[in-house]
Amino acid sequence: MKSDHGALAPNDERLVVEGLTVPFGAGPGLTDVDLAVAAGTRLAVVGPSGVGKTTLLRAIAGLAPITAGRVVVAGRDVTALRPEQRDVVYLHQTPVLFEHLSVGENVAFPLRIRRTPDDVVPARVSAALEAVRLGGLERRAPHALSGGQRHRVALARAIAASPAVLLLDEPLSALDPELRDEVRAAIVAAQEESGAAMALVTHDLDDAGMLADDVAVLLDGRIAQRTTPRDLFEHPASAAVARLLGVYQMLAGSVRADGAVECALGIVAVKTPLRSGAAIVAFRAEALRVAHGEESACMAQAHVVAVRQRPHGATLVLQLESAPQAPPLEVPLAPFATAMPNGRVGVVLDPRGARVFPA
Amino acid sequence: MGAGALGAIRSVTAAPLLARGAVGRTWRMMLLAILTLSSIGPMLLLAVWSVSGAWFFPALKPRTVTLAAWRSAVSDHALISALGTSAVLAIGTAILACVVAVPFGQQLARLAGWRRYVGAAAAFLPVAAPPLALGTGLQVAALAAGLGGTVLGVLLAHLVPAVGYLSLLFLGTFTLLDARPAEAARTLGASQWQVWWRVTLPQLRQPIAEAVAIGFLVSWTQFALTLVVGAGAVRTIPLEVYAYVQAGEDRMAAVGALLLILPPVLALASLRWAALRTAVLPA
Repeated sequence: MKSDHGALAPNDERLVVEGLTVPFGAGPGLTDVDLAVAAGTRLAVVGPSGVGKTTLLRAIAGLAPITAGRVVVAGRDVTALRPEQRDVVYLHQTPVLFEHLSVGENVAFPLRIRRTPDDVVPARVSAALEAVRLGGLERRAPHALSGGQRHRVALARAIAASPAVLLLDEPLSALDPELRDEVRAAIVAAQEESGAAMALVTHDLDDAGMLADDVAVLLDGRIAQRTTPRDLFEHPASAAVARLLGVYQMLAGSVRADGAVECALGIVAVKTPLRSGAAIVAFRAEALRVAHGEESACMAQAHVVAVRQRPHGATLVLQLESAPQAPPLEVPLAPFATAMPNGRVGVVLDPRGARVFPA
Repeated sequence: MGAGALGAIRSVTAAPLLARGAVGRTWRMMLLAILTLSSIGPMLLLAVWSVSGAWFFPALKPRTVTLAAWRSAVSDHALISALGTSAVLAIGTAILACVVAVPFGQQLARLAGWRRYVGAAAAFLPVAAPPLALGTGLQVAALAAGLGGTVLGVLLAHLVPAVGYLSLLFLGTFTLLDARPAEAARTLGASQWQVWWRVTLPQLRQPIAEAVAIGFLVSWTQFALTLVVGAGAVRTIPLEVYAYVQAGEDRMAAVGALLLILPPVLALASLRWAALRTAVLPA
């Protein structure tokens, strides 16, 4: 099912959102959002907080009113239908269980609603609970569950409902790190077990990369980019997307008349379709290194401002001498480095890791 | 020296704190004692009175003890039938007021701005209005409808303040009610009706129990509305007690008053029990 372009045959698409416009807050809200999620795949919707990720999911579920656009689920236009008629299950950020029902009856809820024969219910309930590794907890009361277990019960209930589309609002944000793996596995299990198309909202790009086949970036009320996680992380479509990813450093630069790209680090040997004028050169920390006596077209002198100890390795914070106004650069130190550079160093940018955006 | 100095400092700084705590505690205990004495004292007095034989000033306690008043209460048709009428009115008011006030409160909670204010004020007016004034107005309506002096007329009159009280109660309940379980149920395929029965009503179990108790008490303790709209033909316990007091039958008045107090005490006890039994604590 995985596709490098996120493009699938139209008949595979379980959820299609077209031109969705949803007002909220003081801003323009969501404007003209298009999305498609194929059956059996997971889409992560990422974006800064307050951009309307939750509103987007609620609009798809029929819980938030829209002003324009349409929502198609499994080929059926559900725009005018009530939430219960859409075949779309929405899971709140913190799991909502029916506190007056046991775990088993919580999971059985969608089955009872549909008047599933009583002799079928227990087997389906225990299968759904097994899928999220909570087998045997049928008789437990919700308030006796841990946070991670509550998430998994909500997911098991979604499995029992076997919807065409499963929507998850920030499913991991309220969890301690050690519980995240457990719930992540349950999310994958829920999607695979139900065969649903899943859209999950997150502000955590790690989660998006680990959970999703595709990522859609929501910026300023629109989808700014839709691609695979790998492509997103390596080829952000704009400076704004690169900024959201949080791993790109940026320098002001320009595209010369001959097409060469310049910035405070020197000439960057990248091809760009941009015409001459101001530009932004963005690069990840891995594309930078401290020079070891070599010469490069893209190299500048800098002085060491600080050494940062990070869990993934130490980094140097450098201020370029040629651009004292530019933001300091963070450069990874070679692994197992023993000598900490200080004073002046040369910093080299590998052009393969550089991206050029219009200013 | 170190320990001694430290100890001295500690005692200097701790003393005022301790004293303040002790004064606060004493003050709270006094308040509690006054409150308890003022509410239980009269009841005890009533109980003594209801079984006293001859009891004249300056005797501190009755000279003889007798169950005569209780015996005559049991055989007294008026008091027993008043008890029945009161019970029918109070139970009817409690149930009907709940049935009306739940959707009222729910709709009020959905209003915003001045509409919500007007709605809340309309619900509060019959609660705030003196029962005598309210009764005078309602009597005109009851007479026009041919319900003056009937149990049904009095029941409808009791419903006015009861529905007001309970609508306010449910306005608060629905304003604070977590909407997410209903949303979750909707997207799991439940219709609005199914959501109401399977999710919202169980969420409301505790407030409904409280509302039934309050609705019961609003009717049970009603005097002016019963008197005016019932035109003396509908006899409830408060009316009987008042009649005994006026006739100078102190012991019978004490028996009636004790009967009047019994349900509120039971209601308090059962609410406490219900709260313990049904409390659903969110994780």
